[in-house]
Amino acid sequence: MAEERLRVDALVVGGGIAGMQASLDLADQGYHVALVEREPSIGGKMIALSKVFPTLDCCSCITTPKMSAVAHHENIHLFTYTEVKTIEPNGGSYLVHCVEKPRYVDTGLCTGCRQCEYACPIDLPDPFQMGLSAHRAIRVPFSTAVPQKAVLDIDHCLLCGKCEKACPVDAIDFTQGPQDLVIEARAIVLATGYETTPRDAKAEYGAGKLSNVIDGLMMERLLAPTGPYLHVLRPSDGKEPDSIAYVQCAGSRDETLGVSYCSRVCCMYAIKQAMLLSGALPMADITIYYMDIRTFGKGYEQFYQNARAMGIEFVKAKVGRITEDEYRNPIVRVEIMEEASRVEERKHDLVVLSVGMLPAYDPRPLYGVPIAEDGFVEAACPNIAPPMTAQPGVFAAGTATGPMDIVDSIVMAGAAAAEAAAYLERHDGEAKTYAGRSISMGEKEAIHA
Amino acid sequence: MPEKKPKPETPATFARLPKEAPRLGVYICYCGGNISDVVDCERVAKVLGEQPDVIVARTNMSMCSDAGQAMIEEDIREHKLNRVVIGACSPFLHEQTFRGTVSRAGLNPYYYHHVGIREQDSWVTHDDPEGATAKAIRLMNAGLAKARHLEPLEPIRLEAKKHALVIGGGVAGLRAALDIAERGLKVTLIEKTPFLGGHMAQLESVFPTDEEARPALHELIEKVVHHPKVTIYTSTVIVATKGCVGDFQVQLRPVARGVRGVAPGIQAAIEACPVEVPDEFNYGLTRRKAIYFRYPGCHPPTAAIDWEHCTLCGECAKVNPKDIRLEREMTTFQITVGAIVIATGFQPYEPRPGEYGYGEYPEVVTLPQFIRIMAMAEDAGELMWNGHPVRQVAMIHCVGSRQVPGVHEPQPDGKVNDYCSRVCCTATLQATADLRRRFPQIRIFDLYEDIRTYGRGHEEYYRQASLSGVRFLRFHTEQGPVVIADPTGEHPLVVKVNDYLTWGEELEVPADLVVLAVGMMPGPIEDLIDVLKLSPGNDRFLLEVHPKLRPVETAVTGIVLAGTAQSPMNIQESCAAAEAAASKVAGLLSQGLVELEPFVAHVDLGRCTGTGACVDACQYEGAIQLETRVIDGKEVQRAVISPAICVGCGVCVSACPNRAIDVQGWTLAQYEAMVAAIAAEIPALVEVEA
Amino acid sequence: MNAKEKARERTTALKRLREEHAETVARTQALLKEQQAFRKKLRAAMKGGPKTIPQIAAASGLPSDKVLWHVMAMKKYDMVREVGRDADYYQYQLAEEVAE
Ligand SMILES: Cc1cc2nc3c(=O)[nH]c(=O)nc-3n(C[C@H](O)[C@H](O)[C@H](O)COP(=O)(O)OP(=O)(O)OC[C@H]3O[C@@H](n4cnc5c(N)ncnc54)[C@H](O)[C@@H]3O)c2cc1C
Ligand SMILES: Cc1cc2nc3c(=O)[nH]c(=O)nc-3n(C[C@H](O)[C@H](O)[C@H](O)COP(=O)(O)OP(=O)(O)OC[C@H]3O[C@@H](n4cnc5c(N)ncnc54)[C@H](O)[C@@H]3O)c2cc1C
Repeated sequence: MAEERLRVDALVVGGGIAGMQASLDLADQGYHVALVEREPSIGGKMIALSKVFPTLDCCSCITTPKMSAVAHHENIHLFTYTEVKTIEPNGGSYLVHCVEKPRYVDTGLCTGCRQCEYACPIDLPDPFQMGLSAHRAIRVPFSTAVPQKAVLDIDHCLLCGKCEKACPVDAIDFTQGPQDLVIEARAIVLATGYETTPRDAKAEYGAGKLSNVIDGLMMERLLAPTGPYLHVLRPSDGKEPDSIAYVQCAGSRDETLGVSYCSRVCCMYAIKQAMLLSGALPMADITIYYMDIRTFGKGYEQFYQNARAMGIEFVKAKVGRITEDEYRNPIVRVEIMEEASRVEERKHDLVVLSVGMLPAYDPRPLYGVPIAEDGFVEAACPNIAPPMTAQPGVFAAGTATGPMDIVDSIVMAGAAAAEAAAYLERHDGEAKTYAGRSISMGEKEAIHA
Repeated sequence: MPEKKPKPETPATFARLPKEAPRLGVYICYCGGNISDVVDCERVAKVLGEQPDVIVARTNMSMCSDAGQAMIEEDIREHKLNRVVIGACSPFLHEQTFRGTVSRAGLNPYYYHHVGIREQDSWVTHDDPEGATAKAIRLMNAGLAKARHLEPLEPIRLEAKKHALVIGGGVAGLRAALDIAERGLKVTLIEKTPFLGGHMAQLESVFPTDEEARPALHELIEKVVHHPKVTIYTSTVIVATKGCVGDFQVQLRPVARGVRGVAPGIQAAIEACPVEVPDEFNYGLTRRKAIYFRYPGCHPPTAAIDWEHCTLCGECAKVNPKDIRLEREMTTFQITVGAIVIATGFQPYEPRPGEYGYGEYPEVVTLPQFIRIMAMAEDAGELMWNGHPVRQVAMIHCVGSRQVPGVHEPQPDGKVNDYCSRVCCTATLQATADLRRRFPQIRIFDLYEDIRTYGRGHEEYYRQASLSGVRFLRFHTEQGPVVIADPTGEHPLVVKVNDYLTWGEELEVPADLVVLAVGMMPGPIEDLIDVLKLSPGNDRFLLEVHPKLRPVETAVTGIVLAGTAQSPMNIQESCAAAEAAASKVAGLLSQGLVELEPFVAHVDLGRCTGTGACVDACQYEGAIQLETRVIDGKEVQRAVISPAICVGCGVCVSACPNRAIDVQGWTLAQYEAMVAAIAAEIPALVEVEA
Repeated sequence: MNAKEKARERTTALKRLREEHAETVARTQALLKEQQAFRKKLRAAMKGGPKTIPQIAAASGLPSDKVLWHVMAMKKYDMVREVGRDADYYQYQLAEEVAE
């Protein structure tokens, strides 16, 4: 029997804001897109943020409708919990072999009611909450997940069967195995995103062992309306902090970590968080230790000046070391640059490391796309055609191409869509017929080889 | 309410279906706390759930999420809802989202009404939760009242011209033109000056790649110029537009070039010209003739007459009478396009006379000038300026950027440039690297507030500068550097600065050359703003609709932004923005059809008596007209709307003596019902308000 | 496939999973035990009215960061409620006590 496959115009890898936007921009032009996301839900890092600069919209207000639009777009085929395994060139297109990991849940039946989750007896650190709270071995990843379906983590499962009993629609399915799937795509957009500097990267900052030294993403969760504590509390003992400090460039512009570049977003997210904190904890003192404040985007400088006017303290200083006292209050040793590098020790209740951005994925083995010294995708022509890679038909968008914020990721995604569309038009061989041909759900099922 | 309206293929049908009893679904969004932190959403749901016709009343953490939308869809199906009212953020944000939700469930998308209880309630009434809750109930109750009167509507669909206009022939405009053309759409690109390339042509090597600017630019220009779908007009501007997305009629006014083709002997003709003016290509450092090339190898490779300065003496035409014609005027012409890309770029900030000694001392130059000075300098020996060898250079950052009211003098519009221009830091450090490499003996001082080398590869320039011995001094805005003549006479100038890297001590830096890292300002496009009804932001750059949801679109549907017309950007960012703009244009036009909201005026022919009061009141030419009709064998006048032109402003509604006109989706009956409901006694509300 | 075949397939699948994941299941079982022991002490310390995290930690002898994590986990799944505030700390109580 001939191998069945889904033929699309473009494959988008990664369902963060950049991948979603690139998919929508292509689909709106009439191209068929397959979006492959390795996690059980799309949304990427953005969906875990609280409110987003510079407009301070709640992050869900921007992200969740995009997630929904992706899920419902007639030209987009969404594959979550799926990874690309191999790719072969196929005369003008690419054959992309993917594996959909087993959820052990029949997504056709699951209603996302979470009864399984309540029935599951084991509590595990919840990565969506940056480990600050728990989830179960079977769970709906988060309240706004798309798809809104449970997923079972077999590596932390007791195989006790309690979820199966609790499920009102018999959706738990232990017979599931990995599903192979073949996508034939004429162009590819890589939107594999970023990771942040590990919290334990710097021994000087406590190597991740000080519970009241958290990172920027943890603070995003503390500030989020769906956060782990539903208040801003410090992790050592649940105290509402009175004094919070930010350590800028904790993982960027730091040769000792091999990261010489600026991560672009940390100044703005620290300022944003400081502003949100002064709303949530009006009495708290907030200090930002920085080398240079880089609020370079549209409206960003004004944002910074507003923060200063609100009384947030900005100190040009290098943080040499962080320790803690017997009450687990972090003690920050700062070299105050404005005062000829005078050294001082300052006590705070909570310290936030403004961690930087690192590449999340190496595209060389599968896609043959080169990376630059910094580890992010190398652009073939950075100035004039920023999303273009050295590999024909492969484009890149968002933070896969270097640190950037949401606005820039969205713009880059639009740019990648334009380049991919131009490429598709230039190479419109017989494959052109896919565009506009709608593949029925039945056919979509059939592509599982 | 929407701003522009189109011409439908078929006139909007205002189908009045037999009225079924309203079955209302009411949804109140927490907006992740934005609303629920102030408004007691559960209480609002409870009170509204008790109102007549309400079948379900629910809340959700974020109604716009997939789960929230799925809940609404399911309710519509299960409870046969025929009207939906959602209280959430501003309709501007998610009205479209929920129209999709409602129509997926099989309901006409205009059977849904959106009530803004975030911007209009929780955000502005945040210090009074009880009051905010009562207000939410009243606003929502008015929404219910309107919903009972909703009619099904159809969006206005009109044919879209598969043709885009790009305004501006800098790198952003060129990039956008190429991408749109590659997508198979026709493109017309207009450039105000006689030459393409914009400011990028004036750069030598560009960060972060250190590649040569002009070869990279010329490669792009070649592709655009030779693309069969692209037509380019240089020396051309827009003078008027009409119409709307899909169908903009644009009047273009070209100015003659005065020179034709390669024009043999053109160099001799240029030499013959007796007029000399400052050469803008070198930012006034050199002079050129009134017949000129922008630079050797420029595009197009045809000289042009500078009509501003040409005295029509005819000396040049004597050399080449065949190809040079001293006639400036050309007739305007019209093109019809579906979308417009604005890529009108920036201009460098021009320091005020005396600002840091600019205009007072010839040794004070701007960074763009400095780049030209370096381009023209011989590598051998010393860098000379104004007759002296240059031994010490001071770079001053943030000139014309990050200004503070009260510290800096405002621009003529009364505002200071309080934004960061983002390219100047890296551009300065790149120029420093060039200076260091070619003239290693020169001492360099860099006076800054914050060094913002944020982009990929930018930090490297900063690192190299520090390593190569550039001395950095940090000033505070309130105590900016001061440039004076060197009292010792050893150097032409001294820069006095309080350096906060060393306790704010005042230092004196002698300098032979002071380079002002000037910021970016938008180009002078007031006329364009007028013609296209664009909105500039507080920083005078053109404003996007929403930085995240629609980052390259303007409030006028079909008009998008590319490059530095929107905000300061470097080349890479300008190109990315231009490509994103091209994506939007392709998305709008590639299907050949655009859809617009049906909120336009509608005439009830049963009531219209043809008074013409509406036509007199209408501000939009052609939106409403009187037509002759035959009714019962008699010729009568009746008002007819052109939905393509009508903006739904409602002026005609108030002018009509017969109440024969309504704006679809916002009828008088709906307003009246809302007003009545807002003022009504709501029994359950009494407790809340008590 | 009829119900019987389905049941058989499920049993075989579970058996296979248990074999393949023997190690992770054992590890998770150990974790569960540890968690249950912790929760027992925690619950005992939480009895008798609203308490802050340091109070629960002091009463149980458990480390306060772990107490916080477990209290938040229990709160997420409706076993604990936040009931008030004492200076810089919130107070928590077992859900069944609050319900009473
Ligand atoms: C603490 C913090 C706060 C921030 N706050 C703001 C803010 O307020 N405003 C703002 O504008 N920006 C902010 N940012 C930046 C913002 O998070 C990023 O700009 C944005 O999320 C980048 O989106 P992306 O799609 O490029 O990457 P990601 O969000 O990382 O998405 C990448 C996606 O690809 C998937 N993926 C990766 N590899 C593969 C693979 N091989 N196969 C399939 N899928 C794959 C990942 O699972 C993920 O879903 C903040 C960043 C941090 C760290
Ligand atoms: C000193 C300096 C150094 C720089 N160095 C670098 C660098 O090394 N690397 C880098 O990446 N970037 C650099 N930049 C930034 C770079 O110059 C810009 O990003 C880029 O030129 C912007 O291109 P644009 O097309 O948006 O605008 P522009 O180049 O300004 O082009 C706009 C075009 O539109 C035309 N126009 C204007 N109004 C109208 C109208 N009404 N009708 C028709 N046409 C109109 C103009 O004549 C012009 O040709 C530097 C900038 C400066 C000031």
